[in-house]
Amino acid sequence: MTRFLLCLAIVFSATAAQAGELRPFGKGSWQELKQLHAGRPAIVHFWGLTCGPCLTELPQWGKFASDAGVDLVMVAADPVPEPAPSLLATLAKARLDHTEAWVFADPYTERLEYEIDPDWRGELPLTVLLGRNGSTESVLGTTDFAQLRNWTQSQTRP
Amino acid sequence: MHRYLYLPLIAATGLAAMTASAQTQHQHAGDAPACTGTGLTCSRVATPAFGRDGVLWLTWAAGGKVMVAHSDDLARNFSPPVAITKQSVRIDNGPDARPKIAVGADGQVAVTYAVFQDDKYNGRAYLSRSTDGGASFTEPAPITADTTSQRFETAAFGPGGDLFVAWLDKRDAAAARAEGKNYPGAALAYAWAGASEKSEPGATKIAEDQTCECCRLAVAFAGPRQPIVAFRNIFDGKTRDHAVVTFADPATPGPLYRVSNDEWKTNVCPHQGPSLAVAESTYHIAWFTNGQARRGVFYARSQDGGAHFSDPMPLGAGHRPERPFVLARGKQVWLTWKEFDGDKTSVVLLHSADAGANWGTPQLCAITRGGSDHPILVNDGDRVFLSWLTREEGYRLIPVGEPS
Repeated sequence: MTRFLLCLAIVFSATAAQAGELRPFGKGSWQELKQLHAGRPAIVHFWGLTCGPCLTELPQWGKFASDAGVDLVMVAADPVPEPAPSLLATLAKARLDHTEAWVFADPYTERLEYEIDPDWRGELPLTVLLGRNGSTESVLGTTDFAQLRNWTQSQTRP
Repeated sequence: MHRYLYLPLIAATGLAAMTASAQTQHQHAGDAPACTGTGLTCSRVATPAFGRDGVLWLTWAAGGKVMVAHSDDLARNFSPPVAITKQSVRIDNGPDARPKIAVGADGQVAVTYAVFQDDKYNGRAYLSRSTDGGASFTEPAPITADTTSQRFETAAFGPGGDLFVAWLDKRDAAAARAEGKNYPGAALAYAWAGASEKSEPGATKIAEDQTCECCRLAVAFAGPRQPIVAFRNIFDGKTRDHAVVTFADPATPGPLYRVSNDEWKTNVCPHQGPSLAVAESTYHIAWFTNGQARRGVFYARSQDGGAHFSDPMPLGAGHRPERPFVLARGKQVWLTWKEFDGDKTSVVLLHSADAGANWGTPQLCAITRGGSDHPILVNDGDRVFLSWLTREEGYRLIPVGEPS
């Protein structure tokens, strides 16, 4: 049973990582996303086209993605979804076009935010660190990549 | 089971008008937006204002247009909506942005809104006015000649009939950047327009520099030509806490007073600005913060023109409160906000009969299980209503009480 679930997760993960694809993030997607990466450390970055600080640091995320050593997931969380072509073009420009990408696609944004972190009111950027052991840590605000690498190393150390 | 009491007037949700129609379809994750019309049911936001004659005015944005309608019977029926914008425009749809409407004592109506003028979300704010009871509106005109960026425009008629317009303006930020200087946020800008429909906003002036660029403003009046503006400021270049400025005269913004030391040191966009009401010289303010000193939604009041505020009073603690709104009439004060408990969104109401010194118990006013606008309080003389647009239920105008 466990093995079957794991296989399923790998298949989903492979699907999600296809270039140029944006998966709709709706009710229950957060659980699904966590399930896809269960047992592996993952970094989920919530960003938006309408978030200036997010766009400023996006190229750094692209650089980080190239040698992160952990799963990286980009979730576009503009309160009103921006057009998919604009989102994909922005990700591609930051060399994030091969990164698993989702987009908020439910107007009941309170519910999406609550499922991710009951204290989150949708401020961007937000980075959620999913530990190998199932731990969850929310970091609100722009990213300290040195700290992020420290966390990554702590998670990937044998 | 529930710690809130239902308001006795909750049955008045029957006042709902313009409820979900064929125009609205439920949008499923991943679907293209199904709603393309200009009706209220295709809008995320609806902004109300009462005229002195008891007519309710409503503005919203849908299908690329800014729309206005009015109701003589407390939202049971609305006039045919009028489009303020003739062409389709890209309306500023930030979480704290909305088209706004103000009604003067003489029945004049002013509508303001902002559009995104480029792919960098630079805004252009417009004003349109009507002096014939909303039968016609002037061609929307920019509120300022500078084209850098304006957002969160807010217009209010002062007690003397003059129209005051405040907004967040990026011209100083752009100028600083051109000189290689650091300039966080945007400037708080303002202009006056005369009482007549023809008078365009006058020269733009800057009241404060380096204020938070992504949050709504709140405007009230201390005297006929003495506006009070509440806004999220940036203290010391990084702390996004709230402030008020009271004008000494039409051209002189008074000192900036800090509402509370929440210590929200952040470079995220909070997208949550303050709400302000002023009655009998008492300032009532409600706001959201995620600061190091306190987190959540809070209320405070000042009885010395904003120089000192009471200790922040937490609202809806533990229920993920957001989007507070305050309204004051004499010593009667109403506070509302919305909460989410993992299943439903609730609008909660709190009342004070002594200018905010003491408060009653929180009362549940309305719920929804879908996307919703911010809750807004609006008054028709002494009658106070909750104005709330939700995707599932449509527009609701719910009486919340009359002073005894």
